[in-house]
Amino acid sequence: MSAPTKLVVEAVSKTFPGRRRGPAVHALDAVDLHVDAGELVSLVGTSGCGKSTLLRIVAGLEQASSGRVLVEGDRVLGPGPDRGMVFQGYSLFPWLSVAGNVAFGLELAGVVRARRDQRVEELLHVMNLSEHAGRLPRELSGGMRQRVAIARALAPEPDLLLLDEPFGSLDAQTRTSLHEFLRQVWQRTGATIILVTHDVDEALYLSQRVYVMHSRPGRVVEEIALPFGAGLGPAVKRTPQFLDLRDELHDLLLTTPEEPALQPG
Amino acid sequence: MGPEVSSPGMGRSSTGSPGSRGRRPSPLFDVRAGLPAHWRWGLAGAGFLAVAGLWLWTAAQGGEGGMVPTPLETWAALVDQWRQGNLWTDFRASVSRIGAGYAISIALGVVVGIGVGSLRSVEAALEAPIGFMRYVPATALTPLLLLWLGIGESPKITLIVVGTVFFNILMVADVARNVPRELLEASYTLGAGRATVLRRIVLRHSVPGIIDVARINLAAGWLMLVVAELLAAEEGLAFRIIRAQRFRQVDTMFAMLVVFGIIGVASDLALRRLRDLSSPWARP
Repeated sequence: MSAPTKLVVEAVSKTFPGRRRGPAVHALDAVDLHVDAGELVSLVGTSGCGKSTLLRIVAGLEQASSGRVLVEGDRVLGPGPDRGMVFQGYSLFPWLSVAGNVAFGLELAGVVRARRDQRVEELLHVMNLSEHAGRLPRELSGGMRQRVAIARALAPEPDLLLLDEPFGSLDAQTRTSLHEFLRQVWQRTGATIILVTHDVDEALYLSQRVYVMHSRPGRVVEEIALPFGAGLGPAVKRTPQFLDLRDELHDLLLTTPEEPALQPG
Repeated sequence: MGPEVSSPGMGRSSTGSPGSRGRRPSPLFDVRAGLPAHWRWGLAGAGFLAVAGLWLWTAAQGGEGGMVPTPLETWAALVDQWRQGNLWTDFRASVSRIGAGYAISIALGVVVGIGVGSLRSVEAALEAPIGFMRYVPATALTPLLLLWLGIGESPKITLIVVGTVFFNILMVADVARNVPRELLEASYTLGAGRATVLRRIVLRHSVPGIIDVARINLAAGWLMLVVAELLAAEEGLAFRIIRAQRFRQVDTMFAMLVVFGIIGVASDLALRRLRDLSSPWARP
């Protein structure tokens, strides 16, 4: 574990002004965390715990009210291609083909045509999308669209890949196959990845470390290093160790004290 | 229609008779559902025949006064105008006026509308004055424009611009506001700057919507053109109507109205086609 630290989040708080003179919403309260190079780390919490807000602050799409975010020691002030992001859905450019979407970031970076085409081809191959290169997003299934979104975010070779519940709107089978995809991509590219999810199994299966978040105000309550090696396949999900951790995480998520039952977050 | 009325909420037949729940929707009044082809074409034909019949009937009522010409008389007047060379000159004059005026209006509408819809600063600065100008009837400006700009082409073109540009701006702004936020955010995280996002995302995504806005407001453009030509013109389709009125040539007046209708339908179809060709991804 001597990998250099890629991301440091220091005492980040976020307050949204209340709507129509309502009370201000304390979305994040002094969150600290770090991610090392090559790690895959999950932020897990129920909806409303601020995990997506935190990811958006790392992406530079939201400003922290206080505290700071450092990527390789540089302070994050706004969005940039060094932090690729995958959204829950509807983020592909509908007028561009699959290849056009993946090439978008490379074009903006001024990568020359030949090099660009080569990189797009590589990525589509890795994401198993080669035969769909010329299709429009509307002609693709939900799972394919998210694979394109991941390829697009990876194209400019970001320092960090930020995944905001990328599999949340997919059916269970597609989600499972995309888990395997993400693992492969992570192993082949050595990317540093932060995954935001409310799915405990997903977090346990995919990541090396998990930050558990609670809401009102959103904060990190637990950091768990996972003992599973990345080489293990889906069978790991049935090991006693995995099942114990799963119970532990579910309990942690249930013990959010302030949150009344039966109220959407 | 059916003898059983569904009891509210439960969707069961109230008579307790077996074998029927709910009500089969009528093919004619099923909200937003498709319509069988024979109904579609049948109803379209019936609508057309009804209008044609109404026209023939009123023409017959009009009698000797000739205040309502028959379709045949209208056609004859149209051919006559064509033979005299008026139809082509009038058509060219009117179309070039609206072409120039409406092109300016759309260009302004796109630039300012994208700004109002995308940048809160532009919106804050312009929304109030544009909202005010939108409610000033442009036709009320006609005397002023004639006073300021004389009676040449410029007051007519200006009137077309003034009468449509504020609608175009506000409607394009709405189109721009409907660009999904995720697309903007995705492009920022891919390295796009503000100018790139406005041009390559907001403008590109808005193209089909902008063409629809242009299509809808074009009718207002023709309205302005007619007002301008009625007041001061030497040629033009609406000028021809005024001229024919002076000589009580109702058939010519009708012929010109038909020409307006045909131009309208043709431009509408052309713009729809342009929208589909430019943005196949937005087709329903």
